[in-house]
Amino acid sequence: MKASFNWLREYVDIDFAPDELGEDLTMAGFEVESISKVDANLNNVVVGKIMSLKPHPNADKLSLCQVSTGGHLYSVVCGAANMISGDYVALALEGALLPNGVKIKNTRIRGELSQGMMCSEEELKIGRDSQRILILQDDGLELGKDIASALNLEDYIFEINITPNRPDCLSIIGIAREIASITGKILKIPKIEYREGNEKIDKLTSVEIHDPELCPRYSASLINDVTIGLSPFWMRRRLESAGIRPISNVVDVTNYVLMEFGQPLHAFDFDLLSERRIVVQRADDGDIFTSLDGMERHLFSDTLMICDGEKPVAIGGIMGGLNSEVSENTSNVLIESAYFNPTNIRKTSKKLGLQTEASYRFERGVDYGGVIRALNRATQLVLDFCGGKTAKGIVDQYPSPVFPKEISLSVNKTNKILGTSLKKMKVKRHLKGIELDVKDLDRDKVIVKIPSFRMDLHREVDLIEEVARLDGYNNIPTTTPVVRVNTAGKNPAQVSQDRAKDILTSIGYYEVVNYSFISPLSVALLNLDDEHPYKRFISIKNPLREDQSIMRTTLIPGLLNTMKTNVYNKNLNLKLFELGTVFYSVEHEKLPKEKKMLSALATGLKYGESWSFPGEGIDFYDIKGSLENLFEGLNVMNFNFLPTPDIPYLHPGKSSIIMVDNTEIGTVGEVRSEVLEGYELSDTVYVFELDFDLMVKHTFSDKKIKPLSKYPPIYRDIALIVDESVQFKDIYNAINKLSNKLVDNIQVFDVYRGRSVANGKKSLAYRIKYQSYERTLTDKEVNNIHEKLVSNLVEKTGARIRE
Amino acid sequence: MKEELERLFAEALEKLKGAVEERQVAEIKAEFLGKKGKITALLRGLVNISQEQRPVMGCLANEIKISLEEKIKESLEVIRERKRKEYLLHESLDITLPGRRVPIGRKHPITEVCNEIIGIFLGLGFQISEGPEVELDYYNFEALNIPKDHPARDMHDTFYISDEVLLRTHTSPVQIRVMEKQSPPIQIIAPGKAFRCDSDVSHTPMFHQVEGLMVGDNITFGDLKGILTIFVHQMFGDKTRLRFRPSFFPFTEPSAEVDMQCVICRGKGCRVCSFSGWLEILGSGMVDPEVFKIVGYNPNEITGFAFGLGIERVAMLKYGINDIRMFFENDMRFLGQF
Ligand SMILES: [Zn+2]
Repeated sequence: MKASFNWLREYVDIDFAPDELGEDLTMAGFEVESISKVDANLNNVVVGKIMSLKPHPNADKLSLCQVSTGGHLYSVVCGAANMISGDYVALALEGALLPNGVKIKNTRIRGELSQGMMCSEEELKIGRDSQRILILQDDGLELGKDIASALNLEDYIFEINITPNRPDCLSIIGIAREIASITGKILKIPKIEYREGNEKIDKLTSVEIHDPELCPRYSASLINDVTIGLSPFWMRRRLESAGIRPISNVVDVTNYVLMEFGQPLHAFDFDLLSERRIVVQRADDGDIFTSLDGMERHLFSDTLMICDGEKPVAIGGIMGGLNSEVSENTSNVLIESAYFNPTNIRKTSKKLGLQTEASYRFERGVDYGGVIRALNRATQLVLDFCGGKTAKGIVDQYPSPVFPKEISLSVNKTNKILGTSLKKMKVKRHLKGIELDVKDLDRDKVIVKIPSFRMDLHREVDLIEEVARLDGYNNIPTTTPVVRVNTAGKNPAQVSQDRAKDILTSIGYYEVVNYSFISPLSVALLNLDDEHPYKRFISIKNPLREDQSIMRTTLIPGLLNTMKTNVYNKNLNLKLFELGTVFYSVEHEKLPKEKKMLSALATGLKYGESWSFPGEGIDFYDIKGSLENLFEGLNVMNFNFLPTPDIPYLHPGKSSIIMVDNTEIGTVGEVRSEVLEGYELSDTVYVFELDFDLMVKHTFSDKKIKPLSKYPPIYRDIALIVDESVQFKDIYNAINKLSNKLVDNIQVFDVYRGRSVANGKKSLAYRIKYQSYERTLTDKEVNNIHEKLVSNLVEKTGARIRE
Repeated sequence: MKEELERLFAEALEKLKGAVEERQVAEIKAEFLGKKGKITALLRGLVNISQEQRPVMGCLANEIKISLEEKIKESLEVIRERKRKEYLLHESLDITLPGRRVPIGRKHPITEVCNEIIGIFLGLGFQISEGPEVELDYYNFEALNIPKDHPARDMHDTFYISDEVLLRTHTSPVQIRVMEKQSPPIQIIAPGKAFRCDSDVSHTPMFHQVEGLMVGDNITFGDLKGILTIFVHQMFGDKTRLRFRPSFFPFTEPSAEVDMQCVICRGKGCRVCSFSGWLEILGSGMVDPEVFKIVGYNPNEITGFAFGLGIERVAMLKYGINDIRMFFENDMRFLGQF
C-alpha cells in the first residue's frame, strides 16, 4: 500500500520527520518497506497572477499576458487558451530548468518580449495535461512563492506492507488512525455534508439483493446532470501518489474515496441501466461478460453479478462492465457502495484471474459499518467537482445488519501469555487509543466493544496481541523458560547422515544440494523400463518451468546436471555427493513415499591436476573404494557387491548392485555413454546411489573390539594363474573355506596380466597372514599348513601356481 | 715381531688416509683386524714366541690393535662428517612447491549453517523432528489456521501436486504433526526444505528453513524473546542487537517479526539492510489457540511459541553471498570456498 505523507497529514498532525514516522509504523506492525522522496526540482517556478491578457499583435494563436509575482510584473507570451485575467498560474522565470529539459530565457516571440513561461502540468511533470496551462486554485496562494511549496509538490511516499489481517489499513485514514494512536493526536475525519435534491430516490431507482449471503449490504446514491471532465489537480496528484491513474472526475472521485476510506465504490452511467434499477444475483455457469478492461470473462454459478433490469452490468466487488461505463457523455450516475462476502470475492477473483484494488479489499473484508459514510463522501465530492444534483436520500439494502461484537479480556491472562505485569489501567488506555470501547467487567476483566472496521479482532487473544503491539514488543521483558533436560537431540538416522557427510568429504567428495524437482526428460534419458521405481514420479501441477516439473525419484539426474554446469565452467575433476529426499507415488495414497538417498558421482583425474601425483583417471575401484570407506565408517558390516548387467543406465560389465545382509541397498557403476550424450556430457563417469534409510537399518551399533595377539604373525604369499572369468572373490572365498583357524587375514596384493601369463589368463596374488593368539608359530608349522592350503586350492579351483 | 706389527700398523694407517667411503674403511678393518686379518694372524703367532716375551708382545699387540681400532673409528667419523656436510650442502628442495595434499571435499554451506543452528538449539534442550516435504494441504494450511480461500494464502506461492497435496511452503506443518503425536511439553526444531513458486535474486523455488516449537504450561512471549535472543547472540555475536516487531501469521497470535542489527554495517545503514540498519531474520509468535484446538490441546491450559528462520538468509549474511541462486548451482568454484 502506497501512502503519501502529505495526504496522511490531512487527517492527523504529524510533527516529526518521515523517516521517524516510518520507524514508528514499522514497530507498530506496519512494515514500511521504503520511503521515496518526491522531489519537484522546480527552481525559479513561482506562483503568478495574470493581471491582464490581450491578443498577440503578430500572431493569431498567441496571447500576451502581464503576470504579477507580487513584486514584479512580467510580460509573457502564451500559446494556450484556457486562462483568463485573474487566474493564478505557475510561472517559470529566466533560469528555470523544467523537468522536460527546457531552459527558460528571456526572449522575443514574433517581436514581443516574453520574460518567462506559464506552464502546463505536463511541462512541470506533475500531471498529464499538456494542452492547457495549469490554473491554480486561489485558496490563499502567496504570489511569488516557490511553486513546489505552494502546491505541496514535495512529498514522501511510504510503501507499507499491510498484513492480511489489517484490511482497515488499506486506506489513508486507516493508517492515519494508527499514527494517531502512536502519537496520541486526534484523527480528523473529513466532514461529510451536501445538499440533497427534492426527488425521492425510491421513485427513481431500486436495488434488489437476491443473494444476501454473497452481498449482505448494497447502497447507492444518484446524481443527475453531472459534467464529466478532469478532476482537480490535487485529487489527480493524490491518486497518482497511490498508484492509481486518473481517468475522469466521477471515476477519480470513486477511486479517491476508495483510497481515503478503503471502501471500493463503483459509478454506473445511470442511463445505461435498463429499467433504471439494480439486481444483485449470481451468474449462470458459462455466461460471458465483458469487463471494463475490454476482456471477455467466463462466469460461474458462484460469480456474483450486479445486474440491471435485464443484463449484468458489473462483476460484483471486482470490476465494472463496459456496457455501463461512465464516459464523457454520461450525465446521470449511480454510485454503488456495498459489502461483498470476502471468501466468495476471493474465489471469484482467483477463478477469473482478475485482481483489482476493489477485490483486494473486499476479500480481506471492508468496514461494513463504513459503507454509507463512503457513499456519502463520494456523493459530496461528485457534487463538488462534477456538478449536478442528487436525489433525496440513498438506497441502503442491508437485510441482516451486523452488530458490534463484545469481547471480554482478562488482564491476568494477558500478563500470563506475554510474560508482563501490565496494570489494568494501562491495558485500557492502549485499547482506547485505537478507538475501541472499553468497560470494566470485574477486577480482572474488561469488556471491549469492537468497531466495525476491526473485524480482525474476534477473540480474546486478538486483543492480547493489540495490547502487546501498543505497549511495544520491545518493552516485554526478555526471559528464559525452564527447559527440560532432553536425552538425545539427534536420532540414529540423523547421526548417520552427519557421519556419512563427514566420511565422504574427508575422502574428497563435495556435497551438493539440488532442487527436489527435475525434468521429466532427465529421467527418460536413463533408459528405464516402465516398471522401474524411478518412473513412479509425481508431477507438479503448476511448475515454474518444464524442467522443474516432476519430483525426483533419483538423485542421479541432479548430479549429472551439476556435472554439466561444472564442465561448462571447466571444473573437470569432480567428486560430488548429495544426501536428499526422493519421492515415489504410491497407489491409493495421497502422499508419495519419501525416502533419503545418498548418491555420488566421480569423474576426471583421481587426484586432480597436480605436479606430484600421477595424472590417473578415476576408475570403478575408486568409487567402489569410496563406498567401502563409507560402509566401514558407518559400521555397515556385511556388504557385498554383486555384478549385474541389468542397470539400464550403467555399463553392464562395470556395474554392481550393493547388498547388505542380503538386502539390496543400491547400485554403483560407470554411466553408459548414450546416457551421458543425452546430458551433453562425455568423459567417463561413475556414480553410486544408496537407499540411505534402508542402509541405516543395517548399521551395526554394538561394536566390540577383537583382542590383539601378543605373538608375531607369519605371512605367506601365493600367486595363482586363473582364467579371466574367475573373479577375485571366487578364489578369496575358496581360500577362506579351506583355511584353518590360524589364517587371520587374506589380502589381494597384485593382479597381473602380460608377460609370463598366457592370453585370457591373469595372475592373482594373495598374502595370507597366519596368526595365533596363544603362542608363537614356527616357520615349519606354518609351511606345513600353507602347503596343504595351496595344494587343496589348486585341486579345488583348477588354478595354476605362478612360480 | 714387533717390527712386523709396527709395519702393519703403518700400512693400515696409510691405507686409511686414502679411504673416502665407509665401505673402504670397512674393508681395511677386515684386512687388518678381521678374523682372517693380517694383525689377527700375527697375534695368533704369539703362541710361538718365548714365554718371557709373550706378555710384552701381547701388550704391544693389544695396544696397536686398540690404537688401530680408534684410528678406524676416527676415519669413519671424518668420512661421515664429510658426508653429512655434503648432504646439507648439496641437497636442497624447492620448498615453495605446493605440498602433496590428499584431496578433501566440503560440505554444502547450507549443511554447515544448518548444523550450526541445530547445534545451538540442541544446546538449549531442543530435539530434532522431521516431516514430509510433499504435504497435505491440511497440514500446510488448514491446521495452521489458514483455511481455503483465505487471503493469508497469498503470502505463499504454492506448488500443487493435486487439490489436496502440495509441496510444503514452510516447515510449520511439522509443528502440527508433532503436536498430533505427542502431548506437551514439547521442545523441538524441524530443519528442512520448503518450496514456493518464486524465482529471482532473493528467491529460489526451493529453500531451507528451521522451524522451532516450544509448548508447555507457562511459556510466555518473554520466553520467546529470550530463546531467540540467545540464538541470535550465539549465531552472530553477543553484541548483536535485536528487535521484535508486530506482524501477522495465521498460526501465531501475537506474531512477531525479529530483526537483528545489520551484521554488515553494524546498524549504520548499508545496501544489504536497505539503509535501515536492521535485517529481518525470523518470523515467530505465540501459538494461536485455534492451532491448539485443532491438535486437541486445551488452549486454556497450554501456551507455547513457534518460530521459523531461513537458512539461506543466515548463510548469505554469514558468508556475504548476494545471489541466493548460487546455493543450488553447485559450481565447484563456489563450493570450494567453504
Ligand atoms: Zn547494513
